[in-house]
Amino acid sequence: MIVLTGLNHKTASIAVREKIFAGCQEKKDLLPGLMSINGVEEVLYLSTCNRVEIVASIAEDGNALKDLSNFLAKGGGLTEAEAAGCFYEYRNEDAVRHIFRVASSLDSMVMGESQILGQVKDAYREALTKYATGVVLNRLMHCSFRAAKRVRSETAIAVNPVSVSHAAVELAKKIFGTLDGKKILLIGAGEMAELTGTQLIEKGALSIIVANRSFAQAELLAEKFHGEAASLDALDKKLIEADIVISSTGAPAFIVTADMLKNIHHERRNRLLFLIDIAVPRDIDPAASSLENVYLYNIDNLQDIVDENMNVRKREAIKAEAIVDEEMARFVNWQKELESVPTIVSLRNKAGEIVKDEMDKAAGWMQNLDKEDQAKIDNLVNSIVNKVLHAPVSVLKEESSDISSRDIVAAVRRLFRLD
Amino acid sequence: MILINLQSISFKIALVLCALSTVGYLSSLLVKRVKLAKISTWILAGAFGFLTINLLFALINSSLLINPGSRDFLSLCAWSVCVVYLALQFKTKTRVLGAFISPFILLFMIAASGETSDKSLLPQNLQNWLTAVHLFCVIMGEALFIIASCAGMMFIMQNGLLKNKKLSMTSRLLPSLNDLDRINHICLLWGFPILSIGIIAGAIFAQLNWQHGWLTDPKVVWTFAGWIIYGFLLHQRLAIGWKGYRMALISGAAFILLFLSYESVRICFSTLHNFI
Repeated sequence: MIVLTGLNHKTASIAVREKIFAGCQEKKDLLPGLMSINGVEEVLYLSTCNRVEIVASIAEDGNALKDLSNFLAKGGGLTEAEAAGCFYEYRNEDAVRHIFRVASSLDSMVMGESQILGQVKDAYREALTKYATGVVLNRLMHCSFRAAKRVRSETAIAVNPVSVSHAAVELAKKIFGTLDGKKILLIGAGEMAELTGTQLIEKGALSIIVANRSFAQAELLAEKFHGEAASLDALDKKLIEADIVISSTGAPAFIVTADMLKNIHHERRNRLLFLIDIAVPRDIDPAASSLENVYLYNIDNLQDIVDENMNVRKREAIKAEAIVDEEMARFVNWQKELESVPTIVSLRNKAGEIVKDEMDKAAGWMQNLDKEDQAKIDNLVNSIVNKVLHAPVSVLKEESSDISSRDIVAAVRRLFRLD
Repeated sequence: MILINLQSISFKIALVLCALSTVGYLSSLLVKRVKLAKISTWILAGAFGFLTINLLFALINSSLLINPGSRDFLSLCAWSVCVVYLALQFKTKTRVLGAFISPFILLFMIAASGETSDKSLLPQNLQNWLTAVHLFCVIMGEALFIIASCAGMMFIMQNGLLKNKKLSMTSRLLPSLNDLDRINHICLLWGFPILSIGIIAGAIFAQLNWQHGWLTDPKVVWTFAGWIIYGFLLHQRLAIGWKGYRMALISGAAFILLFLSYESVRICFSTLHNFI
């Protein structure tokens, strides 16, 4: 039986998640410890900043699932009160669906984020190196990777950015194509501007100029980006050089006016200019938006894009859930087929044993026959056995994906006294 | 005979592939899938291959450049737009541009299929290497101008979407403003000298053969007007530093104006260039 237990950002507070995370990080023999729990056959441990989960294949009877939850709670040093209500437990198909949803990033805090699949793969790799997984979990994890891959390629769940800084980067790409060699001007040394600037530099922007009321603070931030510091008095000149301007000062009036931009238009040789105004009250005159080759976005504009993208992700999530269901059905079918395999093997072995016993008994009179006739009898017996077994084996294979497969397996085992 | 058959087959295959790629490109805009545009680019590359084979056969069958058939002439127009687009596509990876350009290529191909391949385009007295240079360079120059203008029109669309703060699927599908501006720039930069060579070759031929009267020919005036606009745009870009929206707007408007005036000249006036 496949089971899953754990906690995530929806069920546990950050304090609880931290404790579990830290507790489990310290344990070096985590997987061997989990494997030693009575009834656990295969196990995998997944830990990210938003979730800690254990996926396991356990024996049908016994208390292994409870023991796994307790192991986590104990590892994190949680009191009973803290642990109550934090842990969720899934069995069989629910567990399969959950891990598929996790790998496909449908259960993530930011739906569609791309990191989770890598983290699930890392967890699986770790379990593989410790020989903690077997036939069932190997298949389960590979199916979960396939589901995640299909969700990414067949839906637009991860296409559109859902953070303000990523939306700004995407807009910059739509304006400039590539950010290689572009100059960024940060006006004000706000955290949001810094974050967006970092993203743009990561995407290939050439350099950053930091202009701030306090020159010392500008220098501090400029040093971080290996950029250039400037005072607000030199803003006109710096605007001529810049391709992307991110403004986030606390100034009560406009710092960049439309007239200012009009005046430097010629010196800029009409180059495209992307202005991002994330300050409230606004730093850049909205009239600048009507200027040729100038593209101005304020925080509300960026937030609108993010909201719209989030809605798109939610719509795409419906398609993604259907893919998860499809992949889950495939896995469950495989699992059911797996259940009938031991019975088929036992049936064939039993028939083989009967044939061997009877042939041994007949060995006395058969020795008078010549070798050719002996071989003919051998073939005849094997052929009869195969024909007799053909129908039950076929039914076991065909019905393995059906809901009644367990009854059929049980009936065959009883009829042929296989247990 | 076999060569003529092969030429006809390669033309037909090129026509079908061209129609397929146009449908693919336009569908990619409708369903907003870049993958479809990618596939269409490959189909168009296939069409280009067959069109090249077709023109090579034409070159063997007759002297294509000195004495082109009317079908070959229109095929050459389609081929020129195609080669310029594919080269740009290779350089800038702006596949969606195909949605705007492939219909032009298809129109040339359909027009070509309506002509018979053995009908000679030029009267006997005009078959000359100077007219061949004139024809080829003017076609290439105009093809580059068509693409510059298509890029300009796409720039206007993308500019409108970005100014309205809408990062819609259409906006995501369209190339970036910078790429479109670059295409416009490259096409003007190459198109102007090529068209100039074409015009000069034509002028020399006309002066040698007709001496006078050709300067006031409506199609000559039309081409000259196009050349002036072309030159003006290039001058403004290189010397004054015009970029982006203004360039896009003027090249788009110039293209529409020139197209309409070409059609009206063709329909309303008798001209020395009455074979095209």
